[in-house]
Amino acid sequence: MLGSAAPARRRGRGTSLRRAEMRFVIAGLVPAFLFYAILRFYPLGYAFYMSLHDWQLFNPLRPFVGLQNYAAILSDPLFRRVLANTLYFAVGTSVILTVLPLLLSLVLNPIGRGSTLFQLLYFLPAVTSTIAISTIWLWIYQPSFGILNQLLGLLNLPQSPWLNAPDSAMPAIILMSVWGGVGFNLIIFLAGVRGIPTMYYEAAAIDGASGIQQFRHITVPLLSPVITFVLVTGMIGGFNVFQQVYLMTQGGPLDATRVLALYIYQTAFQDMAMGRAASMSFILFAIVIVFTVVQLRLRRIDWEF
Amino acid sequence: MDRRISTDTILAPGLPRRGARSIDGLWRLIRCAHLAHYVILSLGALLMVGPFLWMLGTSFKTATETVSVPPTLWPAHPTLANYTDVFNELNFAQLYWNTARVAIVKTALMVYTGALVGYIFAKFQFRGRTILFYAILSTMIIPFEVYMIPLYVMMVQAKLANSYLALVLPSIFSAYAIFLFRQFMFGIPGDLIDAARADGAGEFYIFHRIILPLSKPALATMTTFYFMWEWNDFLWPLIVISDSDKYLLSVGLATLVGEHTSDYGVIMAGSTVAIIPVVLLFVVLQRQIIRGITLTGFK
Repeated sequence: MLGSAAPARRRGRGTSLRRAEMRFVIAGLVPAFLFYAILRFYPLGYAFYMSLHDWQLFNPLRPFVGLQNYAAILSDPLFRRVLANTLYFAVGTSVILTVLPLLLSLVLNPIGRGSTLFQLLYFLPAVTSTIAISTIWLWIYQPSFGILNQLLGLLNLPQSPWLNAPDSAMPAIILMSVWGGVGFNLIIFLAGVRGIPTMYYEAAAIDGASGIQQFRHITVPLLSPVITFVLVTGMIGGFNVFQQVYLMTQGGPLDATRVLALYIYQTAFQDMAMGRAASMSFILFAIVIVFTVVQLRLRRIDWEF
Repeated sequence: MDRRISTDTILAPGLPRRGARSIDGLWRLIRCAHLAHYVILSLGALLMVGPFLWMLGTSFKTATETVSVPPTLWPAHPTLANYTDVFNELNFAQLYWNTARVAIVKTALMVYTGALVGYIFAKFQFRGRTILFYAILSTMIIPFEVYMIPLYVMMVQAKLANSYLALVLPSIFSAYAIFLFRQFMFGIPGDLIDAARADGAGEFYIFHRIILPLSKPALATMTTFYFMWEWNDFLWPLIVISDSDKYLLSVGLATLVGEHTSDYGVIMAGSTVAIIPVVLLFVVLQRQIIRGITLTGFK
């Protein structure tokens, strides 16, 4: 009796289990599927549709114009300027935000007491909203009463108009963004540096390798996955820069800090030229895709070591 | 590192014997204690904290003192007038409440759905699993600037513009949360789930009573991160919310800067008020946050 009951029970439970599992999977995934279809992929297609039309927000007439929006922006000197500005920011911040935190992580790694406190202090700007940080730096950069020019004046060093002059505005925004981002990358590099076995350095020291040689031939090669990761994600983030520029300069002076995301925002929501803004957003998308592909390729290469 | 070794060897030979020994000892002490490292790091820390102190100091200054030359580092006559301005005239309490509500709802949604969908992708075998997962993951590379324009038009058409529903709807799911929870759920033993099933537990019961409690570390990290991100969210609220009573903190602060261009005492009080909750959260949960970054490696 026992022998005949047990298999039947198991089989019965087995089939109902499978159906219950299916029901659970469907209950969990259908909302997700609808969400991604309606609020991600549909808008993506809609954006492309808009980019092929003369699409003004308050004008019901939206004639099809083919690739004219793309042709117009690519021949627009201001758009080229905007691309150059964005590249300037992206390269500037990503390179500095790779080199500086890497060096800092080497300084921070050997110390024991207080290491966490330093990580905390360096990380503080990273948890603060970019708008709040930009507000603080707007005041720091204020030409006549801001602390930076006042300090330079006290030290008899040349002062700068910072955000108020075309030449110094972008470097000022880059400097502020580096200040805001250094702590985050420092923590990533610190984890990387701590993962390198100390015996490599011990062996190199026995062979008489100097600190700089150890850095070049041990630290950098072993950290190259982390370095490319930080560099490429930094580039992608840099191409999307918006808040700092929106708050501090609104793209001025003389378009010196007008970057892609800001230009898209202004074209779409201030000039109401949504079709044109959509075509610009696809240029941004193309750039991001290129860097993402580069990153995936590089990562694959690194894994082979 | 090598520089300190060379100073050591340069300094030692030229000095008298007893002195040499004590200076030698001093250098050894400096090297062991990593004094140079502490000096560099402390200077850096000063640069990191300085702007916040400048903000805090300015927020307690009178309008005349903010524009004094040379500047005072700390207010000579501290005043709370800037803070009362921020709360009375600019209704920052309302902005706080708005931001907290939206951030909490969005965080709860994205963390819960992330855990659920991540669990399904990690622990269930079904047709189309891989392609569905990568379809969701691929949305991570779409820059927000691409879909914010059609999304705004859709919200206007659905008569949702200027409502919090428009803020919440696009963030019910997060591909990033799904990805990270999937990684985490791989580590939960399948035997445990099977044992619960053998005891007759339903699938939702297993998820809520077994999987979620086991995921506490991941849940804590993700909740903290999403809350901080949502608290600081800017572009979408800027686009979709036009009613100043419904503004979120970041947008309210940006508007404050636009309206009070020269009144830096008030602006700095506004910034201070805006960043306090996140900084407190960070100080309390610093260890988990730093470990979370190390584990996930993403912003």
